[in-house]
Amino acid sequence: MMDRVAGRMLEATVLERLGIALASITTAILVGLLAVTASGYNPVLFLNNLIVGSIGSERVLARTLRLSTFFVLTGVAVAIAFRAGVFNIGVQGQFIVGGICCTMSILWAAPLLPNGTVGGIVLMLLGTVAAAIGGGLYGALPGVLKAYADANEIITTIMLNFIAIGVVSWLITNPFRAEGATNVRTESLPDNVGLPPIVFGDSGFSVIGLALTLVLVAVVAVVMTRTRSGYDMVTSGYQASAAVYSGVDAKRTIVTTMTFSGAVAGIASALYVIMFQGNFIEPASIHTYGYDAIAVSLLAANNPVGVIPAGLLFGGLNSSGSYIQTYSDVPVQLIDGIVGLVIVFVAAPELFRMAAKRTGLGGDDE
Amino acid sequence: MSASTSVLEYTQHRRVRLAGLAVAVLAVLGAVATAVFDVPLDRIFTPGYVARSMELAAPITLAAIGGLYAEKSGVFNIGLEGFMIFGAFFAAAATYFVGTGGAVHAWIGIGMSVLLTTMLTVLFAVLLIRYKADQIVAGLGVWFIGLGLVPFTAAIIWGSRNSPRMPGVGRVTVPGASEIPYLGRIVFDQSPLVWLTILIVIGSWVFLYRTRYGYWIQAAGDNPEALDTAGIDVNRVRYAAVIFSGAMAGLGGAVLLAHSSSFVGTGQTMVDGRGWLGIVAYLFGNYNPVGAAAAALLFGGVDMLQGQLQTLDIDASPKLLGLLPYVVVIVVLTGWGKTRVPSSVGEPYESEE
Repeated sequence: MMDRVAGRMLEATVLERLGIALASITTAILVGLLAVTASGYNPVLFLNNLIVGSIGSERVLARTLRLSTFFVLTGVAVAIAFRAGVFNIGVQGQFIVGGICCTMSILWAAPLLPNGTVGGIVLMLLGTVAAAIGGGLYGALPGVLKAYADANEIITTIMLNFIAIGVVSWLITNPFRAEGATNVRTESLPDNVGLPPIVFGDSGFSVIGLALTLVLVAVVAVVMTRTRSGYDMVTSGYQASAAVYSGVDAKRTIVTTMTFSGAVAGIASALYVIMFQGNFIEPASIHTYGYDAIAVSLLAANNPVGVIPAGLLFGGLNSSGSYIQTYSDVPVQLIDGIVGLVIVFVAAPELFRMAAKRTGLGGDDE
Repeated sequence: MSASTSVLEYTQHRRVRLAGLAVAVLAVLGAVATAVFDVPLDRIFTPGYVARSMELAAPITLAAIGGLYAEKSGVFNIGLEGFMIFGAFFAAAATYFVGTGGAVHAWIGIGMSVLLTTMLTVLFAVLLIRYKADQIVAGLGVWFIGLGLVPFTAAIIWGSRNSPRMPGVGRVTVPGASEIPYLGRIVFDQSPLVWLTILIVIGSWVFLYRTRYGYWIQAAGDNPEALDTAGIDVNRVRYAAVIFSGAMAGLGGAVLLAHSSSFVGTGQTMVDGRGWLGIVAYLFGNYNPVGAAAAALLFGGVDMLQGQLQTLDIDASPKLLGLLPYVVVIVVLTGWGKTRVPSSVGEPYESEE
């Protein structure tokens, strides 16, 4: 009996959350269109570019899917932490640290291994593990500081993002810089490292990358719902005092959560390096996946599976950003502004609840 | 009885920790400077260095004072960084449109910036208080909107995310007094905005601790029910505090612009984490405006240190030295993380009527 009631309530909130997510994204895009109109550009053309630039051709579709995999993985990293009530704003830093660990471990190990496919697979596994460890440790640090020194993780993770960008930027301009390269970057990964281009050809996107992303999402979803430590994390986020009474070690759970979240951010970066970039570039010029991931996770109500559609949406939005930058004069930063608006609207569900009541749409609960 | 003794112990304990931390940080910095780089310290801590540090500390201080007022009243304004970005941009845009001729235009820009940022904050306050938005998430959203819409608008106005050269407000030099060794440059040959900041620090301290309204603000965060019982509208107090915090963050951004030569909208924009430093400054200063200003001065000094070390031809990467303030923040939060947060921060207040 109780279970059925709880089930129904859960369903209702899922629907309501979906409504809030859709309302947030729609309102944010409308405000964006308003800004476009106010700046003297054609909003219809802009909207058209948004669609054409995300799904209009096979080439842009490949780009949309490629970006989506990064948003889904970083979004899952954020969701793990937010679910557990830990504000990991440091996914961007963990992504950067994971990426440089992946790149350098592959570059250092490459001469020791055979050139063929087997060697390539070993290198990719090694790089992914190195990225997970690097990102995980970089996430564990603010976790430890929060758990044992009560240092606010929002601020420490943002500071660690700035530090990661600065230090990695210094590393690749000095000791790790590729010899003779005109722009600042590391050496390129060997030819046997990379995912085979299936369906979409040479687009920096591989269907295998997408498949691996979905597998990782499934793994995270299972860990969060079906294992003891996942259960501890979710209960801590839902009701911290109840978790402590039921015997959860709150401090250890914070560190575990941050490590897990950082490790997933690192793996996201391994995919970025191996499938797409092929080397590591100036970290300040890498797209802010880790920040956008906050919006992705919030849109999905911090549910790892819900992150998939939210990540696809952001993949499309940013893919059309590149299109707009090339084919129109509208400054592409507008897309970042829309992301910010999405976050603000998601933060205020009450806004839409009241609006729904006013207009008589779905205001019957309560 | 026992409560008062434990409070006493707590303060003493904290004082010891604070003093220990400060001494340790200074000792490490001093040791590194003298041993590794072989630096004469008197050539670093010149009057010019102290004066410039105060200029850099002013925007952080202003944001910190705004933030502590909001948090004292029970609302965590984590959007300070975003409002500073808007503040710097509004000042630059307003100055650009009235003319970039001289200090007068810079002052008009500062005034306009405070006005416009305050208007934005009203929207934010309504979202937080009336619509009970999640304060942390909404505050982050403000930051991201600032990082997106400000460079967008800058690109539309100037064709680039950076502005052309902007006039500053110059320095106020007191004839005669500015000749006093050391103190002359720091006190009597200083940016008027540093003076304004000092006045605001003192004023906000007096207001918070010596007026009725200050007690209302503290009660709104610590014991809203009592304030409500006394017949004061808790949410109205919170509105006032949040809107003030946005005005201060906007002013902070405008001051930052006035102390630099142009608006920079690339990367993290010219604000570059100073709003976050502001939050840490008031945590470190234990929600006291004077303490927050002292902490901001520490950050300003650390920030300035990189430039100072470079003038001495010290072989250290400017990129790495530029990270010093962020490292100091983490050290400060780790050694000083446990601050006495007002008990009702983050909870929307609903009157019993």
